[in-house]
Amino acid sequence: MTLTSDNKATNTQELITATIDGIQMQVPKGTLIIRAAEKMGTFVPRFCDHPSLAPVAACRMCLVEIEGMPKPQPSCAIPLTEGMVVKTQMTSKVAEDAQAGVMEFLLINHPLDCPVCDKGGECPLQNQAMTAGRTESRFEIEKRTFPKPLELSTEILLDRERCVECARCTRFSEEIAGDPFIELLERGAKQQVGIATDEPFNSYFSGNTVQICPVGALTSSAYRFRSRPFDLVSVKTTCEHCAAGCSLRTDYRRETVMRRLAWEDPEVNEDWNCDKGRFAFGYLKTNRLTQPKVRNLDGNQIDALWPDAVDIAAAGLANAQGKVAVLLGGRLTLEDAYAYSKFARVALGTNNIDFRNRDHSEEEQQFLGSAVAGNHNSVTYKELENAQNVILVSFEPEEESPIIFLRLRKAMQKGNLKVTAIAPYLSKGLEKLNAEVVATKPGEEGKVLSGIDIVENSIILIGERAAAIPGLLSVALEVSNKTQSKISWIPRRAGERGALEAGALPALLPGARPVADASARSEVAKVWGVSNSKIPSEPGLDHSQIIKAAINGELKALIIAGLDVLDAPDPKLFSEAINAVDFVITIGVQENSLTRYANVSLPVAPVTEKSGTFINWEGRPRPFGKAIGSTNALTDARVLSMIAESMDLDFGLQIIEDLRMELSELGIWNGSKLEKPQFESKEIVDFKNDNVILSTWHQLLDEGAMQVGEEHLAGTQKSSVAYLSEETAKQNNLTTGDLVTVLNTRGSITLPLEIIEMVNKVIWIPFNSKDSKVKQSLGAKEGDIMLIEKGKV
Amino acid sequence: MSVKEITAEHIEELEVLAAKYPVRRSALLPMLHYVQSVQGMVSPKGIQTCATVLDLTPAEVAAVATFYTMFKRFPMGKHHIGVCINTLCALLGGDDLWKELTETLGIGHDETTSDSMFTIERIECQAACTVAPVMTVNWEFMDSMDPAKLKELIEKLKTGAPVQSTRGTLITSISDSERLLAGFNDGKVNDSPDADDSMLAGLRVAKERNMTAPIGKGVR
Ligand code: SF4
Ligand code: SF4
Ligand code: FES
Ligand code: FES
Repeated sequence: MTLTSDNKATNTQELITATIDGIQMQVPKGTLIIRAAEKMGTFVPRFCDHPSLAPVAACRMCLVEIEGMPKPQPSCAIPLTEGMVVKTQMTSKVAEDAQAGVMEFLLINHPLDCPVCDKGGECPLQNQAMTAGRTESRFEIEKRTFPKPLELSTEILLDRERCVECARCTRFSEEIAGDPFIELLERGAKQQVGIATDEPFNSYFSGNTVQICPVGALTSSAYRFRSRPFDLVSVKTTCEHCAAGCSLRTDYRRETVMRRLAWEDPEVNEDWNCDKGRFAFGYLKTNRLTQPKVRNLDGNQIDALWPDAVDIAAAGLANAQGKVAVLLGGRLTLEDAYAYSKFARVALGTNNIDFRNRDHSEEEQQFLGSAVAGNHNSVTYKELENAQNVILVSFEPEEESPIIFLRLRKAMQKGNLKVTAIAPYLSKGLEKLNAEVVATKPGEEGKVLSGIDIVENSIILIGERAAAIPGLLSVALEVSNKTQSKISWIPRRAGERGALEAGALPALLPGARPVADASARSEVAKVWGVSNSKIPSEPGLDHSQIIKAAINGELKALIIAGLDVLDAPDPKLFSEAINAVDFVITIGVQENSLTRYANVSLPVAPVTEKSGTFINWEGRPRPFGKAIGSTNALTDARVLSMIAESMDLDFGLQIIEDLRMELSELGIWNGSKLEKPQFESKEIVDFKNDNVILSTWHQLLDEGAMQVGEEHLAGTQKSSVAYLSEETAKQNNLTTGDLVTVLNTRGSITLPLEIIEMVNKVIWIPFNSKDSKVKQSLGAKEGDIMLIEKGKV
Repeated sequence: MSVKEITAEHIEELEVLAAKYPVRRSALLPMLHYVQSVQGMVSPKGIQTCATVLDLTPAEVAAVATFYTMFKRFPMGKHHIGVCINTLCALLGGDDLWKELTETLGIGHDETTSDSMFTIERIECQAACTVAPVMTVNWEFMDSMDPAKLKELIEKLKTGAPVQSTRGTLITSISDSERLLAGFNDGKVNDSPDADDSMLAGLRVAKERNMTAPIGKGVR
């Protein structure tokens, strides 16, 4: 028997021969006994062992007999060596007794409160106490007790009595997340996991410790005592919160999602996910739209039946023919985005469609159309893991794509990777990647990128914020070509890459086909069963142009789907646009500030109530199935089909299979792509002393629309502070702890100041946190020039 | 009782300690002693400060600070008195010493008198069994103690009369001792002999008879 491809085994395929339970086998040198035994079908009981964490042999549960060694040895920490003869509990009384002995010790202080423990029913301690323990306890005196639970953070609770001191949680926090905010404190019988006084376990990855804790010691405030494992139904799903594309396990009971866990996927999220993906699903039950609404003649919104609402929508659109546009958010599935893309062309006869409800540019569209859409050779997580050099541009991995952060950290720890960040300062996240920062003002990234030495075959990761900086994406492509380095675009929202592939842009049809390319149009028209002339040959308006056109009275109707005005590049203009058009259709899951402007508001299904596909930043399809079926909520595609039908069109996208079939019928496009962007950078103009450049990005946990209704999670958000360099602070007579106000003609934001080492003349503030909502308060974007003043203005 | 603040000057001295080592975090134990010399304890703020200086998380520092019993998380009195309670000392009178001490001061293990003069602790073998029973005052040795000597010792410490370790060093305060433990030389290193005659007797005999440790299994 030969075992290979073990994840912890060394890369060299040098094999050694050893024997476990009388079976001789060849394994790659370095294979741990516990792993080899597992592969041959023998499960050695264990607690501290975890394939993604370094061995510690802390719990002693996995003892086996090794010939020639005086005492039983921990199989999780000892690699097989040439000629080694091992006997597990299957063939050795010594091993069996040793394991039973350890189990007895572990249970001495364990409360055995399985009936009220979250883990009861899926607990390794419970299970292994059955297989490797004795039936009756011999321990008769009082157990050690602790007050419970101990609040490690608002989200993570600890029942110390249940802990078996395996150190999985502390090792995860240190090794994987780089956030050693929990530690084993005290010693001896009092040893316990804990935090330092006033320093909660606020790690973006803290939820993983609940999942890997082999007992019920760590629980989440949100799920604690809510359900028993055996009452739950588990479905494999894909996270809707970001473009990482994590595989999740959604556990529901009586049609309500009770919790979500990471579903192991070695290619993508490995064993982990982030706390947003794990805990933020309260929005599914918050402000849900369930009933179509239409505006009656008095101007009031009233509940309507589906057929009526659909007919009114269709009539309104027919009225506005030629003067309609479609604004999408970045959170749609590939299939739904595709349906909008097709609907805009087939039903509305327009290319006025854009999924970018954030700062964007024509340069970005060209970048996406020429280098990202339809690229089947994009960077993958695996490539990041094996990379030597990664350059980050307008991209803060821990905040904007946490699984990329974890993968880069893994690569860095293996010792191969050097991360260079073109950023205004060395963030905590970048510090954990051991990154080198080239301190850069927003606006000068392009200049810096083309100026630094880049080794061939590096990888450039460029974030969606790059769209706000004129010329940057053009330079980045050039640099990538010149240095033969792959470039990958990292959007934040889960649906952006899918919407791009679906052609939800003014100059692109599905599959990276340029609208302006006649053969591209005819390919698509053929699959859609419409005449070539149905698809306009001129690119349409992008998001900002749509807004402008609406305000100028050039548009009559808007379809607005899956977006919140508060996320818009300019919420104020967005609101003006809505007020300016005659007819607004909103399609969405939740009620938000837009819904009340709608002439027709149509509710659709959230991810849990439909199947679909997200395309993650790698371009990897992440299909998922429906978890909850009883609500009968409709997909966006289905709603569009109904409207199309009412317009007497054969739209044909009723069910997911239709969509997937049509997408595969479209196939791969081998023709022309959009022109590579060649835009000029803007020089930063001279500015006055109290002027600074704005730098800002989303924090992973913030006031995002899909994080509502999760107070425990919200409690782990970072506090909102502004950063300035010492020099810039001094020039403005400011010091750490002062209140600083950032203002422009639109409004202001006031935050406590922290002075850090960073580039001069730049202020950094959070993009959408409690006291810092850049879009709502300032309508500004990264790179804008701001005024700063001391104190609250 | 209010705990002394850690000031900028203290942080400077912590930096001195950190700079002594090729890997800064190696300085954590001396730094915790230093914090204890300033604060009479290791307070959460002290843990914070060490973490900031060494670029560790407070939890990492807390893990170390809570592991070692020499670091106190409550304010100590001016003097720290230890009584060895391990076997040899216990048999030779250590238990009586402990009884005497607790009764005299009216406090127990790891407790501090209300006048903030004394903190007492049951301590483990001090490797001074030849002069058992052993006590320590601010970690200076008091060899071959008995209850009468103990009473006298406490009286003197209370009144502030000069007290010397049985080995010579002048006793001042736990704060001074902690500073020394942190690695700041107090210039008194030669005030106490390393060992007295009774401690060296075994070695003398071994040398006379040319005895060496057996080489073989288990010896490297
Ligand atoms: S809390 Fe759980 S994961 Fe952490 S040491 Fe205890 S048993 Fe292990
Ligand atoms: S990293 Fe992104 S995809 Fe993964 S769980 Fe978090 S939000 Fe979801
Ligand atoms: S699993 Fe081997 S010692 Fe814990
Ligand atoms: S037993 Fe007290 S010093 Fe050794």
